Amino acid sequence: MTGKTVLCVEDNAFNRKIVRDLLATTSYRLIEASDGEMGVATALRETPDLILIDIQMPKLNGLEATRMLRADSKTAHIPIIVITSFALSGDEKKAMDAGASAYIAKPYSPRELLAQIHKLLPEA
Amino acid sequence: MAFDQGRGIAHFLLTRSPLGLLVRWVAEVRASVHIKLLFAFFFITLLIIITGMLSLYAVFTMDRQSRLLNQAHEQVNWSRQLQHSLAMQMNFTALAMLQKQEAAIQKILRENNRFNSIIARIEETAPSDEHAVIQRIHTIQDETMTMVADIADQIRDGKLNEAMTLELGKGYSLYLQIGELVDQIVKTETGKMENRRRSLDAFNHRALIFMSSIIMASILLALLLGFVISWSFLLPIMQAHRFLSHVTEGDFSTTITVPNRDELGALADHMNRMSRELDRLYKDQEQAARDLQLVNRKLELASQAKSEFLANMSHELRTPMNAILGFVELILDKIYGNFPPKLEEPLTDIQTNGKHLIRLINDVLDLSKIEAGRMELSLDEYVVQDVVDSVRDALHSLAQQKGLGFIATVQEGIPLAYGDAKRITQCLINLTGNALKFTKEGQVEIRVEREGETLIYSVTDTGIGISPDKVQTIFEGFRQGDATITRDFGGTGLGLIITKTFIEMHGGRIWVKSESGKGSTFFFSIPLRAHVGVAA
Repeated sequence: MTGKTVLCVEDNAFNRKIVRDLLATTSYRLIEASDGEMGVATALRETPDLILIDIQMPKLNGLEATRMLRADSKTAHIPIIVITSFALSGDEKKAMDAGASAYIAKPYSPRELLAQIHKLLPEA
Repeated sequence: MAFDQGRGIAHFLLTRSPLGLLVRWVAEVRASVHIKLLFAFFFITLLIIITGMLSLYAVFTMDRQSRLLNQAHEQVNWSRQLQHSLAMQMNFTALAMLQKQEAAIQKILRENNRFNSIIARIEETAPSDEHAVIQRIHTIQDETMTMVADIADQIRDGKLNEAMTLELGKGYSLYLQIGELVDQIVKTETGKMENRRRSLDAFNHRALIFMSSIIMASILLALLLGFVISWSFLLPIMQAHRFLSHVTEGDFSTTITVPNRDELGALADHMNRMSRELDRLYKDQEQAARDLQLVNRKLELASQAKSEFLANMSHELRTPMNAILGFVELILDKIYGNFPPKLEEPLTDIQTNGKHLIRLINDVLDLSKIEAGRMELSLDEYVVQDVVDSVRDALHSLAQQKGLGFIATVQEGIPLAYGDAKRITQCLINLTGNALKFTKEGQVEIRVEREGETLIYSVTDTGIGISPDKVQTIFEGFRQGDATITRDFGGTGLGLIITKTFIEMHGGRIWVKSESGKGSTFFFSIPLRAHVGVAA
């Protein structure tokens, strides 16, 4: 099975597991990174088809990572979904300004997340 | 202008002449202003008295001198009359010899008597050195009288020739002698009178010069004293004026130095003390302001730390909640395969309560931001229908569960609106959520209508309603520290306060119409196009 690759950058193992379990039912291939720095390094190495990135992470936060990925020609074209926090007004704007293709607020419904992924990266 | 000019002259005198030293000396005299002024007035009065006395003395002296002159003048007059009387005697003697009449003889005697009385008068006032001459006149006059008596007898007897001989021989020579003596007296008296006149003139001249000098000196002294005294008071006053101008301009570091050891000196000391005190107070206040600024800065940092903490906590709380809700949804969506049907209800309960917890977390965070004044709107274009749709999507399952009718109507033709769509959605969810919660049967209806440039949202329920005494405080209860609302409405008090704040930040207002037991309608109006968000 050589499906499209989704990179999930998320520091919380349980939330990574949700994405893993969610995508296990699909044809997407998942690769994971547990912090921003590792996420950027993995993205540059593997050039995935879509990146899912949490806004708040140790070492390098989601916004900075997004900016770095957008600045690099290898990853500039990859759709990025930023996971924001609902209560912090302006997070969405910051995410879009940093170069995100879409955002989804935490806590998100896995169903909705999958819909977002499908919209940006059709499975077939 | 004249005042300034006068000041210029005074300044010149004070700095370029010994008057400055004198003023300083007067200022340094250890006496009160009162004593100094009394002394100055007394001194000037003394000058006036001295001048007056000297004038009186001069007047008296002049009077005496002129009386002496008058006397001398009289003496001269009398001696002239003596001359005249002698001439008349000679004249009448000659006439008697010609007329040979008794009447003519009587005239000689009369004239003779007059002569005697004049000489007696002169003698009365004459100084002793003239007495010898007068004595000789008397002797010769007596001889003459004897001779005249003889001549008169001879005339009466008709012995005219003898009378003539006597007269020409002896008489004439006697008259010449008397004439000489009388001339001498006239000369003496005239000389004396001239002397007197000259000395009077000289005295007058001297008196004039003396008096003028005294008056000039008095005026100068009075002016000098006035100048010195007044400037010894004026200088410290002018310094005080300058000093106070500095103080008024906020310069408390200046001091005032005056040589005065009187009330003005004491005043200057007081001013210096005042200035020091003001300076101290000012510095204290500055220090206090700096301290306050520091405290403010610390508070600001603390507040910032609090906000950051809240933001972090928000995310920290959200992350496990995301996992909980995510896994529940994955289970319910049968990602992990089938599950025993009796687990569906408790799983849904976990989901409902988890979502409720998330809303509470959001409300608490929003309220913290509102209380800290850090809440901001994120304004953008939005479609009203989308707002209503997302509210319906979020709550229709709840309505379904409770078996309530759920209607949402948006007036047609509402143009693109401008505001914080997410916050407006939150407000509408809060109101609709409450409505669903407090309605056991019937329906909940959301309506949106446009009135000119205003959008009116309303949520109507057929629930328990609100008693009139609570209607007034329902939006403020929490802020006034009244926890009963929160208790009564099971935690939704927060939602109403947050809703009210967001609506007011949009420039709108919220109100409620309610009847106990019959239901309520919550209304809020916001501008179709909100202006720049007002901080809560």
